[in-house]
This record gives sequence, structure tokens and C-alpha cells, in this order.
Amino acid sequence: MTTPSNEQVAAQEQLHDQFNDVWGNPRGWKSLTIVNHTTIGIRFMLTGLGFFLFGGLLAMLVRTQLAIPGYDFLEPDVYNQVFTMHGTVMMFLFAVPMMEGLAVYLIPKMLGARDLVFPRLSALGYWCYLFGGLILCASLLLGIAPKAGWFMYTPLSSAVHTPGPNSDFWLIGITFVEISAVSAGVELVVSILRTRAEGMSLNKMPIYAWYILVMAMMIVVGFPPLILGSILLELERAVGLPFFEVARGGDPILWQHLFWLFGHPEVYIIFLPAAGIVSTLLPVFCQRPLVGYRWVVLAILTTGFISFGLWVHHMFTVGIPQLAQAFFSAASMLVAIPTGIQVFAWIATLWVGRPLYHVPMLWLVGFLVIFVCGGLTGVMLALVPFDWQVHDTHFVVAHMHYVLVGGMFFPLLAGIYYWLPHFSGRMPSVRLGKWGFWLVFIGFNLTFLIMHWTGLMGMPRRIYTYQSGLGWDLPNLISSIGSFIMAIGIATVLLDIVLHFRFGQKATNNPWNADTMEWSTHLPPSPYNFVSLAPVRTRHPLWELPDLEERIDRGEFALTVIDHGRRETLGIEPLTGKVREIIHLPGNSWWPFIASLFIAFTCLGLLSKFYWVALVASIVAVLVLLRWSWENGAHPLAAPDARVQPGEPPLHSRTCDGPGLWGMGVTLLANGALYLALLFGWFYLWTVSPNWLVPDDAVIDQRLLLASAVLLSIAVLWQRPVLRRLRQGQGEPAALITCFVGAALLGALHTGLLLWALLAGELAPRATAHDAVIVVMLVYSLAHGALATILSALQALRVHHGYVCKRTPYEPLVVEQFWQYSLAVMWITYCSVVLFPPTFGGV
Amino acid sequence: MQPLRSPYNPIHIPLGLVLWSIWFVVLYGGLSVGCALSPPDPIQGQWTWLNGLLALFSLFTMTALLGLARRFQRAARDEREGQPARFVARLAAGVNLIGAIATVFVALPTLSLPPCL
Repeated sequence: MTTPSNEQVAAQEQLHDQFNDVWGNPRGWKSLTIVNHTTIGIRFMLTGLGFFLFGGLLAMLVRTQLAIPGYDFLEPDVYNQVFTMHGTVMMFLFAVPMMEGLAVYLIPKMLGARDLVFPRLSALGYWCYLFGGLILCASLLLGIAPKAGWFMYTPLSSAVHTPGPNSDFWLIGITFVEISAVSAGVELVVSILRTRAEGMSLNKMPIYAWYILVMAMMIVVGFPPLILGSILLELERAVGLPFFEVARGGDPILWQHLFWLFGHPEVYIIFLPAAGIVSTLLPVFCQRPLVGYRWVVLAILTTGFISFGLWVHHMFTVGIPQLAQAFFSAASMLVAIPTGIQVFAWIATLWVGRPLYHVPMLWLVGFLVIFVCGGLTGVMLALVPFDWQVHDTHFVVAHMHYVLVGGMFFPLLAGIYYWLPHFSGRMPSVRLGKWGFWLVFIGFNLTFLIMHWTGLMGMPRRIYTYQSGLGWDLPNLISSIGSFIMAIGIATVLLDIVLHFRFGQKATNNPWNADTMEWSTHLPPSPYNFVSLAPVRTRHPLWELPDLEERIDRGEFALTVIDHGRRETLGIEPLTGKVREIIHLPGNSWWPFIASLFIAFTCLGLLSKFYWVALVASIVAVLVLLRWSWENGAHPLAAPDARVQPGEPPLHSRTCDGPGLWGMGVTLLANGALYLALLFGWFYLWTVSPNWLVPDDAVIDQRLLLASAVLLSIAVLWQRPVLRRLRQGQGEPAALITCFVGAALLGALHTGLLLWALLAGELAPRATAHDAVIVVMLVYSLAHGALATILSALQALRVHHGYVCKRTPYEPLVVEQFWQYSLAVMWITYCSVVLFPPTFGGV
Repeated sequence: MQPLRSPYNPIHIPLGLVLWSIWFVVLYGGLSVGCALSPPDPIQGQWTWLNGLLALFSLFTMTALLGLARRFQRAARDEREGQPARFVARLAAGVNLIGAIATVFVALPTLSLPPCL
């Protein structure tokens, strides 16, 4: 390697300065506009840490209350709020956002890209998470926090049994936070598939990216059932639509299905990224590649799917037929196998390597011990007779903490210690780090190992105190002492991390001799990650090309010209990693912050029952989101200068297959999961609701519904030939405007007819669950029709402004997917509401 | 991008487990609907029309998944294709095989338990 001359160094610095002009983060109030993934990822993690400390404090309160029998440290009602909020905060405000935050931070760096593909969406997700979390936590300070347990079983959480706003905070706050989870999910899926380094084919992708890809897809499919459940339960509480009330044709078990359809995959949504950390770190500390890369990928995929087939194992005691229980019991045992494959791959990697037991490795070994124990008690719980015996006891609480703390918290801390030099440019302290680990490890096992026995001795969960003489006194005291030792351990870890920013040794480049691309950035990294984008044709780029960082820094690779003022990264073909286009990314923007602020006002309006405030705020939020969408594609703010260098691929907004197309597809997948959950609810209630009430006559004008569906079909069919020509590079502006205006008019007619059918029908949604579900289905279609109409009208306007034309055909193709989805939903709704009931004893 | 029907298109990687998921939903849903509409006499034990139907459906699904696994495994052996394409086909073959095994394992109780008790 030759030493660069002064001129070369000066040119290099000038290049970095130019990049900073385009990518740099503003300070002060304007820092609210930052959309860069590095900053957003760090914000997610710091906010997650704040919520973790809050949730941990609540755990301390719980353990203090249970330390001795008959203690009155907390009132029963406060205790109920505290344990509900502990579970809710840890699951929704710490575990998932923390893992997403780490992925948001790491994924572009590992893939050799400059940013995630929808940076403004990342920012929106963050603000929704922050505001939703703060609203939820504020309820505890006001003494009106949720108190029906973190899974909000109805009828306990219903308006009859929990009057007041307690449950509303959970239902509205969590739904708000889930906007964040789903948006990050969409963002990560598309980024992993479309913005890797040149040549990084699927088989060369870092193993962590596989884990995050599957996790993100699980979020996209798994969260919507809970979002739907929360909406339905809130509608029941606020407006009286009886989805879960037996007397009016609902069924509380439907809530359990919707909750656990999300709830069980949630465990793996948390575990998989943690396992990704393990699979990334172990090879580094063993200095050899992960054993069985392909087997591990297979295991990740299998876990992702099978984990959706387990949800009923949380409901073994509700009275489900034995055969159905056996299906879920078998699936629950089956899911242990892919996890076992990963464990064996890790052990084999340790076996064939020469492990260096630095602090991150301690946490990894701790993870292996605790998680394997948690997995074994999981298999025990999968056996129906055993589950019946220990259901709702402390045994289940202990198992859950072994899986979640062992399976998520330990690997997370391993990862944080490992990537600390990334955040600070300094190395962690070995001595304090080891003290922190051992205190947490001992404290954790003292708390939760003992809790298994407390549960086996019959102590139920969620009781605020207990009598002496039941044999529970000593184990509870030991658990409480253990929890305080664990808290001291966590404080030690935090102290170590804080101190290392001041006293830690300066980190050298790639201090752990790692193999993945994130270590080829500066420490800490610049906002653009890499000044030039290097091709990557191996799974271990930094082991095989040790001088890669210097070469990237010298600007030897792609996309080093930035005088056009665009933020950009490479768009690739998903399988082979061949470069297809240049993806230009939006810069800093106020829109995500403003949109999330108005969504927060909507939530506050709903919580305080000022529905007009909620209505106005939601309309403003939609308008802000539409205004945001205006600055896209060929808009001058999205691509100030559309020229590219000779030999470079085109900008994505000048192609027919940009990332927005993929983003819309994945978003519609999430939307479809929500709609399928609604359909499931409809058919479930028809089949098993104990008091299902079917009206004697048709409650809705079926001809209006049919006419509405036909109009929507015509709108979609009308656009098809025009869009086909657009794909072929044809289509004059006048023809495009006619098409989009026509589609918008047809969409408006379709929406109007649907509204007419809804208002003119004899629906009694407060009287029967039957009518309540129909109303929700029709409103869902109505909202889609209205949005499709607005989007097409906007497209017509964009053609008029010259942002959409045959050279920039991209956006109408994105909108087309939305029209097609709306059409499919409309016809399925028609078949379900009009054609299905007569075949099943209805009208 | 590979054509959609090509065994090397990455869309096929999760195919086996997508089919497994659909089978699983139909299995559980079919059992519930069968028990709601026409529950077999408990005296019959596991030898009922409903168990038979679910077992047959499972057998069909397993056979289809095994067939797909074989097709993808053959595609993975084709040395004219590049490493990424063969990786995809090999992964898809594995996923289909796992789907078939999971189908058999989860469906086994249809041979031993009455459906609606």
C-alpha cells in the first residue's frame, strides 16, 4: 500500500466535505428534520433504553411488592397498572423498537449502502414510536394506566369491567406505536432486497441481513391482526360495537385469537434479530466463518413461518377440541427444531474456532445457557397436559423471561458492547463489563430459576399479594433479592457504557477484526457511510480485502460525484446483486415530524373523547402525508439535478421498477394481513360465536354494493392499457390526464355508492356483532376507494406539472397496485357479505 | 430478474412454507367448520369422515410439497446456472422438504384423536 500524497489527501478531504454538504445533519430545532438512518437508528435505541429503564423500574416495584407475604407496598389497583405497564413497555416500547433501531442503524452499513430506501418513513416511524410511547407512559403517571394485563383480555378490558380511559390508552397508544413497527418493517424488507452493494448476491448476504429480512416480513404480516383487534376493541369500548360481547353476537375468544396471531410470532420477531447478533458475533470472536450458513438461513425461514402456527398454544385452557390442540402442540414442538439447528451451528462454530472471551462473548455464552433452558421449558409448555397444570402460574412467567431476557437481552448487550466503537470511536472496559455481566447473570437466574418452583408450587401470576404458609414466602424473597442484584448489574453495565465515552481507549479501524462491511466506515461513521460504494462479492469482505476501507475512503468505487446535490445509493437486482439503477433518496424534511404530531393529536382527541379534535387532526395528518408524497419522483426537491454520469445506470424515478413499487407491494401485504384478520373474524363469528344473531332481512342494498364494485372494476380496467403503454415508453400528457381524471371520477362514484349503501341500509351495528362487522368491512373498502380516488387525481395534477410523463413513468405504476388491491378487497367483501350468508343460514 | 416460473426466482424460496401455512389454516379452519356443521358421533373415535378428509388433504399437501422439493433439488444440480441461482433453488428445495415434514408431523394426530371433543 502506498502513502497518499498531500494533493491526494486534500482531494479526499474535499470530496468528504462535498458529501457532508449534501448529507450533513442540521443542529438545533432543525435536527427534528433529520431522516438519516444512522441518526434515526441511534434515536430508536436511546429512546428504547429510556423505556427499558422505565419498564425495569416497574419490575422492581412488582418484586418489592411480592418480596414478603401480605405486603401493602402497592395498592391492588396500582399493582395491576404496574404489572400491565411493565409487560407492555418491555414488549412494545423496548424489545421490538430496540431491535428495529439496531437494524435501522446497521443494515445499510452491512449491505454497503448509504441509507435505507425510505428515509422519511424511518423518521415518521421514530416519531410515532416516541409520541405513542410517551402517551402510554403518561397514563401511569396520571394513575389511569391500562390494568388488564399486557394482553388485554376482554371482557376484563371491556368498558363494562374496566370503565375509564385505562384500556383506551393501551389500545390507542399501542396502535400508534405499531405504525412505527410496520413502517420500519416495510423499510427494512425493501432495503435488504434492493439496495445492497454491487455483486452482493443473496448467497453472499451477511447472515444478520437474513435474520432482519425474515423479522421484518414477520412484522409486516404479524402486527396487523393486533392492530385490527385493537381497533375493534376500541370501537366496542367507545362506540358500543359488540365484536367481543356474547350477548350481542360477539365472542371474547376472537380477541384472544387476534392477539395471539400477533403475540406468538412477536416472540420470534424479538428473538430472530437477537439470534442474528449471535450469528454475526460468534464467527468474529472465533475468527472463522459461521458453520452451516445455508442451514442457518433455512432455519431462519422455517422459524419465521412455523412460529405463525403456534398461537393457540396460549389458549389451551379456553375449551378448544383436543385434536385442534394437538395440531398446535405439534407445531409448538416443531419450532424448536430450527432453533436447535442454529444452536448447533453456533456450538460448531465455537468448536472449530479459537474463541476469544472478550466481554461480548460473555453475554453470548450467557445467552446460550439461558436461552436453551428457556427453550426446554417451552417444549414442556407445548405439551397440553403440562400446560393445563401450570397455566397462569409463575412457571409461565419464569419461562417467558428465560426466553425473552435470555433470547433478546443477552444478545442485545453482546451486540451493544461489540458495536460500541461504532457509536463512540472507543473500546469498552473489560473489568467493569465483566462485573456487569456476572451481576446480571447471577441476579437473573436467582430471580427466574427460583420462579419456576414458585409456579410449580401453584402461585398464580398477577396477584398483588399472597398469604404466608403456602410455601411461596422464601422463593419469592429470593426472586426479589435476585431482581435487585440484576438491577445493580444493569446499572454497572450502563455506568461502563457512559464512562467509556470519556475513558475508553480509542478504537483502531475494525477493532475486532470483523468480516462485515459496517466496520469499513469511519468510527463513528459519517452520515453517508461510504464516500464511494464498493462492489462486494464475498460473505467476508473485510477478511478478504483488508484495505477496503482505505480504498472506499479514497473514492475508488461508484457514485463519487455529488455536485448534483442528490443523496443516492445503488439499486440492485435482488438475486444477483447486479446494479440496475441509482436510487435517489430524499433529504431532511419536516413532513415526518409534522405528520406524526397530528397523528398524536388524533390519539389524544380519541383518548379525551374530543372526537372533533381527533377528526380535524386526522384530516390534517392525511393532508400532510399527501403533501409529503408530492415531493417525490421527478419533483425538483426529490432530484434537484436528474443527470447521471456517463456509464451510470438511470435514476430510479426514470424507470418502471423503483423501490416505491416494492414498498407499496410490501405495505399492501401488511394491509392484506389486516383485511384477512377481519375476514377471519367474520367467518369465525359465523362459525363459533355462541349467540350469533343473523337478521331476518337483508340489511344492506345489495344492488348498490354490486354497482359500486362494478364501477371500481371499470376504473381499474380503464387504466390498464394506458399504463401498459406508459411502461413501453409511450403516452402523451393529455391521454394520461384523461385516464387519471377518469379513474378518479369513477373512484369517486364508487365511493359515493358505497357511502350511500352504508347510510341507506338498515344496519344496526350497536345491536349485533353481525352488523358491526359489515360496517367495518364497508368502511374499510370506502376508505380505500376514497384514497385511490385522491391518488389518481394527484397523478393527473403531477402529469400537468410535468412530474409524470413517458420519461418518468414510475409513480402511476405504484398507484396502480393500490387500485388493484382495492378492487380485490371490494369483491371479496361483496362475496363475503352478499353471497356467503345464504349458504350458511343467513340472508 | 428471473421469470416468475423459473425455479431460480427468489420468490420461490418461501413457497413450501407458504403452502404449509395455507394447509395449516385450512386444517384448523376445516376442523372448526366441520365440527360446527356436522360433528361426527364421539363413539366413532378418530375414524370419522372429518378425520379422513383432513388426513387425505394432508397427504395431498405432503405429496405436492415433496414433488416441489424434488423439482427444486434437480434445478439446484444444474451446473449451467450461477451460484446465486443454485443457492435459491437449493434453499427452495429445503423449504419444501421442511414443509412436507411439518405437514406430516402436525397432521399425525388426525389418526389418533376424535375431532370435536
